[in-house]
Amino acid sequence: MAPRLLATAAMDAGFHVATAETIGMAQREGSVTSHVRIGDDVYGSLIPQGTADLIIGLEPAEAARNLRYLRKGGSVVVNGHAIMPSTQGKGSEEYDPDRLIGFLNDNCPDIISADFTRLAKDAGTYKAANVAMIAAAAGAGLLPFSQEYLWDVLEKMIPEKYRDVNRRVFDRAIESVSDTKGKGMESRAFNDGRVR
Amino acid sequence: MSSKRILMGNEAIAFGAMKAGVQIASGYPGTPSSEVMETIASHAKEYGIYAEWATNEKVALETAVGAAYSGANAIVTMKQVGLNVASDPLMSLSYIGVKGSLVILVSDDPGPHSSQTEQDTRAFGHFANIPVLDPSTPQEAYNMTLLAFRLSHEMETPVILRTTTRVSHGCADVVIGDIAPIPRDIEGFVKDTRWTIFPKLTAQRHPLLEDLQLRLSDCFSEYFEDNSFNSLSKGSSRIGIAASGVSYLYAMEAVRKLPGVFSVFKTATVYPFPEKAALDFLKGITDLIVVEELDPYMEEQFLQLAGKHHLNVNIYGKKNGCFPVSGEYDVDVVIDGINSSLERGNTDVPGLSHSPPAINLKEVPSLLIRAPTLCAGCMHRTVFYAFKKAAGKLRSQKGIDSVFSGDIGCYTLGNARPLNMVDTCLCMGAGISIAAGLSHTQEYSNNGKAKQIAFIGDSTFFHSGIAAVVSAVYNSADITIAVLDNRTTAMTGHQPHPGIGITAVGSPAKIIDIAEVLKSCGVGLVRTIEADGLDGCIDAATEAMQFEGPSAVVFRGKCVAISKGEGQYIVDEDKCTGCKLCISQLGCPAIFSISSGLPVIQDTCSGCGLCAQTCPSEAIVLKEVL
Ligand code: SF4
Ligand code: SF4
Repeated sequence: MAPRLLATAAMDAGFHVATAETIGMAQREGSVTSHVRIGDDVYGSLIPQGTADLIIGLEPAEAARNLRYLRKGGSVVVNGHAIMPSTQGKGSEEYDPDRLIGFLNDNCPDIISADFTRLAKDAGTYKAANVAMIAAAAGAGLLPFSQEYLWDVLEKMIPEKYRDVNRRVFDRAIESVSDTKGKGMESRAFNDGRVR
Repeated sequence: MSSKRILMGNEAIAFGAMKAGVQIASGYPGTPSSEVMETIASHAKEYGIYAEWATNEKVALETAVGAAYSGANAIVTMKQVGLNVASDPLMSLSYIGVKGSLVILVSDDPGPHSSQTEQDTRAFGHFANIPVLDPSTPQEAYNMTLLAFRLSHEMETPVILRTTTRVSHGCADVVIGDIAPIPRDIEGFVKDTRWTIFPKLTAQRHPLLEDLQLRLSDCFSEYFEDNSFNSLSKGSSRIGIAASGVSYLYAMEAVRKLPGVFSVFKTATVYPFPEKAALDFLKGITDLIVVEELDPYMEEQFLQLAGKHHLNVNIYGKKNGCFPVSGEYDVDVVIDGINSSLERGNTDVPGLSHSPPAINLKEVPSLLIRAPTLCAGCMHRTVFYAFKKAAGKLRSQKGIDSVFSGDIGCYTLGNARPLNMVDTCLCMGAGISIAAGLSHTQEYSNNGKAKQIAFIGDSTFFHSGIAAVVSAVYNSADITIAVLDNRTTAMTGHQPHPGIGITAVGSPAKIIDIAEVLKSCGVGLVRTIEADGLDGCIDAATEAMQFEGPSAVVFRGKCVAISKGEGQYIVDEDKCTGCKLCISQLGCPAIFSISSGLPVIQDTCSGCGLCAQTCPSEAIVLKEVL
């Protein structure tokens, strides 16, 4: 849902968009990465390495797994809530999310990390963690369009009975990043989509 | 009037088909193709379209063929391996042709992300003598769907619309026309010898079929003059790039810092190959770089062309190792491929550079491997675990080993640790036939006997399980069939099937009862049980495995991805002894523990209760209870 939400809001804001999503076998509890490209000129939907303006990591290890895409000066929004694997893959080290978050905080200059699952849960449902993260990205000025575009799309996408709780999650997430707003905006300007 | 919408490539194709006036649509779900039929089905009532999920791709194609014989506009949808199932009618159909129009949507899966093979439908089209269109974006997919219907009607041939994952499952802003379907009256079936394939007819039709390929090749060459999806451009160097499908976009992005340097040949009409245009393009080119995923299809076409016309041009692609022969492409793969072609060529065009990532990847701590596995609370886990237990008993009590033949669906993931319950998996329906084959060679192991168990899902059972059951029973195979009936086609997005009693468009339908089918096929012992109780499942598995001759159990449950879980479980730390059986035995992704701690159940627990039934200390309880 997250890629489509971003893409639709971006289109409403006047951009061209292209997304790539993972559907099917690979999706069953495996690592899943979606790409969203927004701009005046988009090529294919897959982002080349070292060119992503923003990585939204719904889980710490999955954020780290995709760092190769991040451009110099790009931003990271990461959910500190780890999804622990049931079985350790052969030869795979034990997963230490705190250490990984520490690494991300130390190495990504422009990062927002928080437990967005907790935030969503406190507001009513842990399932809205992805909504919280996208709202936070918008609230921190990391998206090339305003948060109103996002909410307009969400309102249409979400069944009525879940709308209120999602609105709460949305607002709280934006509030949670309000102090970062404006900070480092210059370095956050998009390199191939202009802010309108 | 036209409007701009965010559409997935598959949705764009569905809208294209509806715009083109499709009247009948049939298909079998398969990633990455399924959303085409789903979208058509959801609009079927509105536009008066007949839409259905068929039991398999052969049936779907033949149904659409019948409609097209009567003059209707038809589409049939499947994934690349589905085309193998449909290949029998397809190969004959190309000789016969159609009257209305017939578009065959086939989605390929380079990578592969969700498939057993990385096969290339462009090559299949070539093999079957059926034109293939290969769009590169959702917008092109929409436009080419319209073209496909038109071509099919004009040329009286079926047309393959081939996509790849990034086109099928990519979303983009797409401009589509209002759906005022282009009407085509259905003339109705007119009896004629042309519809009955006989050797004599085949002999007559074959030269015409070959002639059609030549005409189409010329027609596709003409498209370069006035069509946006075929184009030729001349660059300042003597190096050319040829590409089709989504690879074209990767190539254009790879060379964007060198605008106007390369000559570019872009085609979306890949088969029959537009030879005249290609020849035109090769004039003045000394080095040609072919960028394409999957098979070196275009590369071979260009090599042939160069040979036929004694052209002095170097051709770089997969065959000389410049590009990988397998796997999915992206911009970085294409940059490497172009660079290695440039290095071999005699040119002063500079190499292309990658964008360096912001973070030194060598410093990233090593990451856990997160492999796909059955969902938390999936009924298949209970059934697999029950068979594991039953097989353990059979081994310890009677010294009989068990072999588990899996099949295609979510339950292929029963191979994941710690279940390890899939010993073979080949293609749809093969679980039963392979088990039967193994049963006829039972004496292969030193200790004599082995019991053969075949797992099959409900949708797969209808797809190609039934014929395998009939054959196994008729030939006295000593097998146990476990039907994993989760009441949906789960892997591909929860499409209905004949066991459910709902059609593609949501109308009620006659339910085909799987257990009754098994009985009427002559399976000696048939049981149906609910899959939520572990002990009951173990008993049913044990009884079936001890039965001499073909036996079957239909395990009925629900897919958690569409049914709501009931509550969540929690580990009572006072009772938990830390034996970690719940982790070492089940592999439910909702439970984990770090080596030093007790098991912890995460939010994703759907409340199936399997771990609670497995725990020897009764330490796993419903959250509300604790
Ligand atoms: S009850 Fe146990 S086995 Fe079932 S989903 Fe929850 S944690 Fe997994
Ligand atoms: S989608 Fe349904 S059938 Fe597939 S693994 Fe999940 S619960 Fe099981």
